[in-house]
Amino acid sequence: MSYSELIKDFSRIRDYMREFFVYGFKSREEIDIKSARSYDNERRRIESWLSEYMSFHQDTNGKNVFISVDSRRVTHNPLYQAWKAKSFTKNDITLHFWLMDILSPDKTLSLTEILDTIDSEYISFFLKSEPIDESTIRKKLKEYVDLGLIAAEKRGKQLVYKLPADKLNLQSWKDATCFFAETDPLGVIGSFLQDKLKSLPEYYAFKHNYLLFAPDSGIVLDLLAAINVHKRVELEIIDNSHKVNKRRIILPLKIFISAQSGRQYVAGCNTRTKRFKFFRLDSVLKIKPLDRADDFESYIELLNGYRKHLWGVASGSDGHIEHLEMVLVIEAYERHIIGRLEREKRCGAVERIDDTRWRFSADVYDAQEMLPWLRTFTGRIESLSCTNKSVEERFWGDLAVLAELYGGDGDVV
Amino acid sequence: MLFSEVYSAYFNAVAAILCEAVNGELTDKRILAIINEKAFSESFLEIIPAIKNEEWLLINKNMKTPIKKPPQMPLTTLQKRWLKALLTDPRIALFAPDPTGLEEVEPLFTANDIICFDRYLDGDDFSDGNYIENFHIILQALTDKRKLKINYESPKGRRVNGTYNPWKLEYSGKDDKFRLLTNGGCFGATINLGRIKSCELLGEFDSAALRDVPRESSLTFELTDYRNALERVMLAFSDCRKETRRLDEKRYTVTLRYSLHDETEILIRILSFGQMIKVIAPQSFINLIKERIFKQQKLFRE
Repeated sequence: MSYSELIKDFSRIRDYMREFFVYGFKSREEIDIKSARSYDNERRRIESWLSEYMSFHQDTNGKNVFISVDSRRVTHNPLYQAWKAKSFTKNDITLHFWLMDILSPDKTLSLTEILDTIDSEYISFFLKSEPIDESTIRKKLKEYVDLGLIAAEKRGKQLVYKLPADKLNLQSWKDATCFFAETDPLGVIGSFLQDKLKSLPEYYAFKHNYLLFAPDSGIVLDLLAAINVHKRVELEIIDNSHKVNKRRIILPLKIFISAQSGRQYVAGCNTRTKRFKFFRLDSVLKIKPLDRADDFESYIELLNGYRKHLWGVASGSDGHIEHLEMVLVIEAYERHIIGRLEREKRCGAVERIDDTRWRFSADVYDAQEMLPWLRTFTGRIESLSCTNKSVEERFWGDLAVLAELYGGDGDVV
Repeated sequence: MLFSEVYSAYFNAVAAILCEAVNGELTDKRILAIINEKAFSESFLEIIPAIKNEEWLLINKNMKTPIKKPPQMPLTTLQKRWLKALLTDPRIALFAPDPTGLEEVEPLFTANDIICFDRYLDGDDFSDGNYIENFHIILQALTDKRKLKINYESPKGRRVNGTYNPWKLEYSGKDDKFRLLTNGGCFGATINLGRIKSCELLGEFDSAALRDVPRESSLTFELTDYRNALERVMLAFSDCRKETRRLDEKRYTVTLRYSLHDETEILIRILSFGQMIKVIAPQSFINLIKERIFKQQKLFRE
């Protein structure tokens, strides 16, 4: 089949976008692909969609392609472009514009009336055109009724069609659409709406904006749909370390998002064991909706209680609580550090010990998960204690290695 | 269905082409210009032959179309449900859209379905009446390119009055705050909207005075990939422009570009990765890290 910049299936392009965007150092030989031709085609597509953001460098491993974006300086997420590259047939595009032209909100038409209009006013316009069969048009009408683009109603025994009356003033949503298109996990829908609007505001900017959530939008949509109707789902997930696919059944309850890394998770419950599990959405390949759970709200309540001791998304191995305390030395001129403690702690408490010493304490399922945050206070930590001694050991051990890395005691500034 | 051709760049481009054809204004030059504006860099290779060869029965060889009115597409159910979902978000009050037409629509989700678990806790109060009023005035100023007289409280608690040319309205998902970036006047400033007491619209300013002068800096670090550090670091810094090169099986160098204004924040983010990251340039940044390590070792010995 000849190359096309449009694609039928979104799943494969997710992997390539991640490779080019997150890593950007892998050559064609290193990316886990089926064939060199497949790599070349996907790379060419992404280059075509994102040409202004693509960069290259050459090293001993070959030519490396990467997507380089300063998310603070883009007003619109460029990765949404992939969602606008769906392939279609010549009948799809022809019928789309014919039906949108023939139908109106004011008058209903039957299938026969639509067929007659197509024959007399559209097909006859072209010298070499072939008729489009009735079943193709019937299918397209049904598809558009399902999408909400066409309204169907009964006239006697037959179905008649019209365009839905749109009372919505989309212009009044212009600013909201521009903002939420970049900040909402389903912002790609906002991007579709932006394509219908003229002269979009360019005055928005976004800091700490992790663009890579865009390729996972389809997974988010399927999960939110399941949450909405309280349905359990079967997740097909890829275990990257073992290169195998696994299946897990959960009742999805919430989407958890890290505002500090852009990672997205689904929080779900195994309704048999009543244990909560978190799955990263970029590892989810497929979602199959299953049966409805009657007691959805009780699981939400359980999750809300469970969250009180959750630092991130790790629940430890056996659900028991670990207590951690950190004492910081904060001078009078460094009071903003107390502000940091207060706003950055996700659970736990901050208390003053004396004029210059402050204690942070928390009870969490997995204190190891706090280590990256604790390290950000390097230079001020007087003491650190945890009921899980391996947390203390790792913290101080890592710090010793870090000091050694920068030349040890003898090489300080 | 999210992945559908009805939202595609091709359909958007063809709609715009048909719009000009309906008005009898279509030329080859315009077709190419519209494709380049609305679709992808190689789209002309597919769209132009499909139109010219009458593969898509939309425009004939004489640039005439059987389409009678400029193409319009109603909103899909998915689009309406997404807009309805936005009405459950407290930030929607800042934009005050007209909800008419969504009365019978089910929201796609609610704001409660989504949890940002590591968002800072001192975000702006989006329900505060004064905040909302100031936000609306700022949006007006940005739209109309008008100066703003702003009275705000500085981080040190001092009251500041000034006249500013608004440039960008920046939102941070991590801080859950809006900041107004100003530019072009006597001096530029970044003002947290949460600190603004009042603001007032003034006259128009010359938008040519607005300029994007990034005060950018860069650093290079060596990354050692264990405990899944490679993936974690790459994702954590994926909001910045960066270039990564592999040194050997486990080691990489990453050059990161960031705003000079955010140096302390970048330092903190680097520290959070501990010994997985060793900054190798510039020396001034290395010194900042050494200073923290030295202070920590001193505290430990005491």
